[in-house]
Amino acid sequence: MADTGRAGQTLENYPLYIRSVPTENELKFHYTVHTSLDVVDEKISAMGKALVDQRELYLGLLYPTEDYKVYGYVTNSKVKFVMVVDSSNTALRDNEIRSMFRKLHNSYTDIMCNPFYNPGDRIHSRAFDNMVNSMMMQVC
Amino acid sequence: MSVPDYMQCAEDHQTLLVVVQPIGIVPEESFFRIYKRISAVSQVNVRDSQRVLYIRYRHHYPPENNEWGDFQTHRKVVGLITITDCSSAKDWPQTFEKFHLQKEMYGSTLYDSRLFVFGLQGEIAEQPRTDVAFYPSYDECETVEKRIEDFIESLFIVLESKRLDRATDKSGDKIPLLCVPFEKKDFVGLDTDSRHYKKRCQGRMRKHVGDLCLQAGMLQDSLVHYHMAVELLRSVNDFLWLGAALEGLCSASVIYHYPGGTGGKVGSRRAQGGSLSAEAGNRHRPGALTSNGINADTSAEIGRAKNCLSPEDIIDKYKEAISYYGKYKNAGVIELEACVKAVRVLAIQKRSMEASEFLQNAVYINLRQLSEEEKIQRYSILSELYERIGFHRKSAFFKRIAAMQCAAPSIPEPGWRACYKLLLETLPGYSLSLDPKDFSKGTHRGWAAVQMRLLHELVYASRRMGNPALCVRHLSFLLQTMLDFLSDQEKKDVTQSLESYTAKCPGTMEFITLPDGLKLPPVPFTKLPIVRSVKLLNLPTSLRPHKMKSLLGQNVSTKSPFIYSPIIAHSRGEERNKKIDFQWVQGDVCEVQLMVYNPMPFELRVENMGLLTTGVEFESLPAALSLPAESGLYPVTLVGVPQTTGQITVNGYHTSVFGVFSDCLLDNLPGVKTNGCTVEVIPALPRLQISTSLPRSAHTLQPSSGDEISTNVSVQLYNGETQQLIIKLENIGTEPLEKLEVTAKTVNTKEKLYGDFLSWKLEDTLSQFPLKPGKIATFTVNIKVKLDFSCQENLLQDLSDDGISVSGLPLSSPFRQVVKPRVETKPINPQESSKVGDFSHVKTLEAILNFKYSGGPGHVEGYYRNLSLGLHVEVEPSVFFTRVSTLPATSTRQCHLLLDVFNSTEHELTISARNNEDLILHAGECQRMAIQVDKFNFESFPESPTDGTQFANAKQLEEERQQAKGLEINSKLDICWKIISFHEYFVEGVLNQLVLEHLQLAPLQWGEFLIRLVQRLWNVECSIPTTCMPVTSFRKSPQFIRK
Repeated sequence: MADTGRAGQTLENYPLYIRSVPTENELKFHYTVHTSLDVVDEKISAMGKALVDQRELYLGLLYPTEDYKVYGYVTNSKVKFVMVVDSSNTALRDNEIRSMFRKLHNSYTDIMCNPFYNPGDRIHSRAFDNMVNSMMMQVC
Repeated sequence: MSVPDYMQCAEDHQTLLVVVQPIGIVPEESFFRIYKRISAVSQVNVRDSQRVLYIRYRHHYPPENNEWGDFQTHRKVVGLITITDCSSAKDWPQTFEKFHLQKEMYGSTLYDSRLFVFGLQGEIAEQPRTDVAFYPSYDECETVEKRIEDFIESLFIVLESKRLDRATDKSGDKIPLLCVPFEKKDFVGLDTDSRHYKKRCQGRMRKHVGDLCLQAGMLQDSLVHYHMAVELLRSVNDFLWLGAALEGLCSASVIYHYPGGTGGKVGSRRAQGGSLSAEAGNRHRPGALTSNGINADTSAEIGRAKNCLSPEDIIDKYKEAISYYGKYKNAGVIELEACVKAVRVLAIQKRSMEASEFLQNAVYINLRQLSEEEKIQRYSILSELYERIGFHRKSAFFKRIAAMQCAAPSIPEPGWRACYKLLLETLPGYSLSLDPKDFSKGTHRGWAAVQMRLLHELVYASRRMGNPALCVRHLSFLLQTMLDFLSDQEKKDVTQSLESYTAKCPGTMEFITLPDGLKLPPVPFTKLPIVRSVKLLNLPTSLRPHKMKSLLGQNVSTKSPFIYSPIIAHSRGEERNKKIDFQWVQGDVCEVQLMVYNPMPFELRVENMGLLTTGVEFESLPAALSLPAESGLYPVTLVGVPQTTGQITVNGYHTSVFGVFSDCLLDNLPGVKTNGCTVEVIPALPRLQISTSLPRSAHTLQPSSGDEISTNVSVQLYNGETQQLIIKLENIGTEPLEKLEVTAKTVNTKEKLYGDFLSWKLEDTLSQFPLKPGKIATFTVNIKVKLDFSCQENLLQDLSDDGISVSGLPLSSPFRQVVKPRVETKPINPQESSKVGDFSHVKTLEAILNFKYSGGPGHVEGYYRNLSLGLHVEVEPSVFFTRVSTLPATSTRQCHLLLDVFNSTEHELTISARNNEDLILHAGECQRMAIQVDKFNFESFPESPTDGTQFANAKQLEEERQQAKGLEINSKLDICWKIISFHEYFVEGVLNQLVLEHLQLAPLQWGEFLIRLVQRLWNVECSIPTTCMPVTSFRKSPQFIRK
């Protein structure tokens, strides 16, 4: 069983989408993801000095906590994806996480292609929901 | 060692620890005043050398920490300064005794001590003593600093001697084993002669000497000693001390690299000293080696660059040291402090990621059961360190935890004040400000779920602090800014608690100033309800002021020389301030319409809702409203009375919702539509109210001009009847009514109307003017209805045809007799005639009476008001003349006019004509009446000057002639009817058209023929155009006929 909370974020750093399994104690994940943004910001600013266009989008492990591992991913438009997984889940290695992020990114791109979606609004997309759900089911 | 000093930083390793303590009863204020002065002497240039001593003062230091003094010498209390208050000489021995007791507390480590006695004068104070200084009072102690400097110098002498002592006793004597408190029992029974043991002793001692060198201001020497110590200790796997040696190395390197200091807060103080130390280190290094007779080992010249760690190495070494410390559970405090120090260094190096790793490690260091206060301190310092490395969210997170700790349930007296203060400090980390303006525009900033939580906590803390005003302010803020994120249940809960708080302390629009100077801006509820549009409404039509025409010229804008230009200077910013093209009147109720909606899932009660205005004294009349749950757009009208004249600007509105008073300014509202907010208020005008003798009408006139009718009255009249309409004019305003003009306009005239429909005499009314407020004047209007009395046009046609034939042979009766039977065959009985024409058809006439009135100051300014009275008249048919013919009378100058009269009313009526007896007609009866009349000559009327070019003029003349003829006939005939039970009415001027031809003199046959032709062509038109009824069109032109 893995607890995963994910959030897409924009520059202003407010959540576009957040979801966790199980749903109780969601606030805890809010805090975890919120504080992880510090690390994301730090990593981005550190990378800012390097070539921006050849930047690796995947940020890797942001920080481990006692129970969870927090991973980050930032698109070129600075939309942040954060994934929190149970640290006891050994099936998830870096590669798996990376591919999950890529899937998330693709799905997010699809949302952005929707002409009725206002960039910056909270995401209410069934397709995105389903994708996230399937990903979480797979992990659990 | 259990109490960590979270404030420690790397450069503290070079300081000497001096404890300053009061003994006996010393007022706290005085003590800290002296303490402050003492601690100002934090660095001293030692005499005869360029070395600088740094002193760290503490007024409280746990003795158990002192026990670790051998491990790291900066933990050792080397100096003690006691401050005491001694007023009389007989207390002196006791005081001195206490001083000695105090000394014993740190006795083992003290180099020297001082006692400062305040208040004692006299014999004892005269004795010169080195360890005691006497001052008469706390205010007269100028020499304190000097004394301290002397004291520090004495400390230095001891330190220097110890350093030299330890550094030189190299091989001959047995080196004692330095150890930390918890190690003592481990070494019992250990073989003290083994090489391993000796090496350990050497390593530890070397490290100790390094510490002393660092304290004595010999940075380079200390580096050398530390390096050697590291090597020695590494070989014997003495990890704890190896860690200490590494940390010492790091500290020395940090001091070298960052003379500005890493402590942050005390940076400014250290900046000067730090640079000095680096400088000093550079300068006296070679000298130090020679003059101080340092051991040969250290004199082996090792390059400075090699001795001193590079910034990267510092971190590596810190990591290593911490990992060694981590092996010992009892060294938790050391490890924690090392982490903190390393983080401070990393913060300066701006390596936040690595710093966060150190901090993360520090979080997991498990000390013994911490007291609540220590927990708070620990979380606070973590927060501060995270802040320093730029992790604002993490910092806020820990600060919040610290705040929660202040009010933890396990604490007997929760410190809600401290909790609240800490919570406030977390706000920036959650990108939350307490100014609602920051949240009014654009998308929401920050993480709502987390922010909401924090706001709830602020509310709770402020409530527990016993500050309900603050609590209400925070709760209002929560409701206002987080409305979109609250669930329905939460909305209910929040509003319920808000209401319960405001019952005790209503929310205001004032700034709340906190004791520490923070100002909380007011929170207007602009979302409860949400206002979508604001529209200033014009006054009702009857009260609208109009500008006099003559003054209009002044009103025209002189900005542009053009009357109209398609190029309008549009400027978006001005839209809200644009002026509205109507005016409000001083003293009259003016309205503003808001479209609002309630976003709450329950009924919203808005009380005391009124307008906020500037420019004009405005008496707002607040309204209370109740909006249903999640209502759609809901119109709300706010009213008020301007008390003075000028430009009024509606800036916003105020409400009271859930007991919170809000002033909502339109400028701060996003997405509000408005048609402009500035309107002119003109001086007061009187108000006129009309009441009439007639009943009010359900009919509403729809005049084309767009004017609205304030009152409608209706009356039912028989054709030909006249009635008086008495209008009561009441001045219900506050200004005298000075001017009145009345005009009338008929509308919807499909019917032919003869004579003056409405007539009045204004003079009678005006004589009562000016009308004082509250006074009533009367005004009488005569209503005359005279429609066509012929029953039908086609019937008339028949008659006319008949007439032609008659007129063809005037006075020759035979032909006429021939014709007549044919005419007689026409059905006359009422039943049939009613079939032919609908006699009972009710016709309507409508007219508008306009009252223009003015008075008071508004009149001076050239304004007036217009009040319209709609008049709806239903005309019922009375008598009909179904046929007209003439019979020659005995005289050729006379003839008998025969009229078939039909009574279409339900009443019995009488018809009378001049020189004739009354004819009684029952309801629905038709009878013939004969009137003997003189024939007359139309020659007496002026012929039209046949001027073809003046087309309209000719027409007019023709009409005038017609009218004149009509009047002539009327006066001759003077037919009138009356319903016996009612009054008498005249059938004026109605028959002329029919009768005209029959009454003319024979010699004028040709002229008569011409007129007749005209008549025939005209018969559809009204024969007597009146002033009331403008002739709209001519179907056929008389001009055409003449040609």
